[in-house]
Amino acid sequence: MRTKFCIAILAAALLLTAAPVWAHHAFAAEFDVNKPLILKGTVTKMEWINPHAWIHIDVKDADGKVTSWMIEAGAPNGLLRRGFTKASLLPGTDIVVEGWQAKDGSNRANGSNITLPDGKKLFVGSSGTGAPFEKDK
Amino acid sequence: MSKRIFALSSSIAFAVALPLAAQTPAALKASPGNTAGNSGKAWSLSKTPWGDPDLQGTWTSDDTWGVPMERPVSYGDRLYLTEDELKDREKRVEQSKQRIENPSDDSHSPAKAQLDAAAKGAAAPAPAAGAFGRGVDAAPVPGQFGEYARRASRQTSQIVDPPNGRIPELTPEGKKKQAAAAALRRKTPETWTDWSIYDRCITRGVAGSIIPVIYGNGLEIVQSPGYVAIRYEMVHDTRIIPTDGRAHLPPSIRSYMGDPVGHWEGNTLVVETTNFNDKMGVGPNGGGFQSEDMKLTERFTRVADNTINYELTVDDPKTYTAKWKIAFPITHEPGYQLFEYACHEGNMAMRNMITGTLAEQAAAAQKKN
Repeated sequence: MRTKFCIAILAAALLLTAAPVWAHHAFAAEFDVNKPLILKGTVTKMEWINPHAWIHIDVKDADGKVTSWMIEAGAPNGLLRRGFTKASLLPGTDIVVEGWQAKDGSNRANGSNITLPDGKKLFVGSSGTGAPFEKDK
Repeated sequence: MSKRIFALSSSIAFAVALPLAAQTPAALKASPGNTAGNSGKAWSLSKTPWGDPDLQGTWTSDDTWGVPMERPVSYGDRLYLTEDELKDREKRVEQSKQRIENPSDDSHSPAKAQLDAAAKGAAAPAPAAGAFGRGVDAAPVPGQFGEYARRASRQTSQIVDPPNGRIPELTPEGKKKQAAAAALRRKTPETWTDWSIYDRCITRGVAGSIIPVIYGNGLEIVQSPGYVAIRYEMVHDTRIIPTDGRAHLPPSIRSYMGDPVGHWEGNTLVVETTNFNDKMGVGPNGGGFQSEDMKLTERFTRVADNTINYELTVDDPKTYTAKWKIAFPITHEPGYQLFEYACHEGNMAMRNMITGTLAEQAAAAQKKN
């Protein structure tokens, strides 16, 4: 089975004109709203930890090179109420992740949505991320 | 048929509640939102084997989700929505429910929308009108965040006193704290102390643990003779409250959650908490301001099988020029259980936030050179 690699990180100038006001909030400090990305990979580990769960995935590029990413999700209690179970993201599950990359440039991202192999879309994000579209107006 | 009876009894409750609602915040007790779920049968308060009113069980403040803490000015002194406004809120509550129950239909996909727009050279699309924001019908951020009101509240604000539903003016000392907090918000956070007590997984405080926020609004009440324990879900504080009206701890002993002492007034549990520190405040997740001299008085009155009316009076003359009061019902939510929230152990965000700041500073320094 060939896992397609798909990643897109766009330049800041293309997206938002104003830098977000600093908020003492995990999203604004940890992740870059100007680096949206879509990753397609395979789950290697799911960490059910507070205050945010982390999904570990391996992403393979067209040349077969594998890069490991960590995806921040919502709190376990939030995910459980959205219908996730301990069996929802078992190792070996192929998923597509939409989110934003870490500000420090590491292979970490804040996950917004994930899509499962059957096309089912799940929201994995945490609340009030400060991400675009989620800001209080 | 039972639904019809319920609808009829609700309508009667509405009719009874409306004239009361205009009078006083005490009318909250007659608010239909606070007694929803009663099917018209006579209800009597159950007691524990040792004779105290029974408040035990798992409760949430989710039914006040979307009701702002402070009332939008346009509502003036009006504590309750009109019938039309209530219908509108009920619609929004239903929308939230649908989004939870049909998550695959949700098109909330902001990162993808950004990428799609950028690929076309366009600006990122604006969020749907009315979908987010603050104010009396602000609530529905995407329902999949997991929490939503099961019953639409009639209240225009969580604050019921003063009559305008807004936090009273701060004292000069309170204003000093407000200015310091604003300065901290403007500052690029660099080290762990630049983040809030909540961000650091320490606590959300007494008020912050029950004011509804984006998720984790559950609490569990357990009683034993002479004690009531309240366990809050997010950040998992537990308060052990003696109900013998004993004296408070000496003033030299202070803490984030303070020293609670309770007693029963009829069927109401009254809890007075003092001995606070001044490192946090009275607001969602512990935001806001307070002094060490603050006294919080809470009243828990069970008014139905599925409803406790909750009131919180803030008395802190060093910070606020007048007392003020929050009131809302806490209710049973079918199937709700408290999940563990061991926050500090997995708080990778602190590390990531600091490395994010360092990366930004390095990039800025490089740009300068």
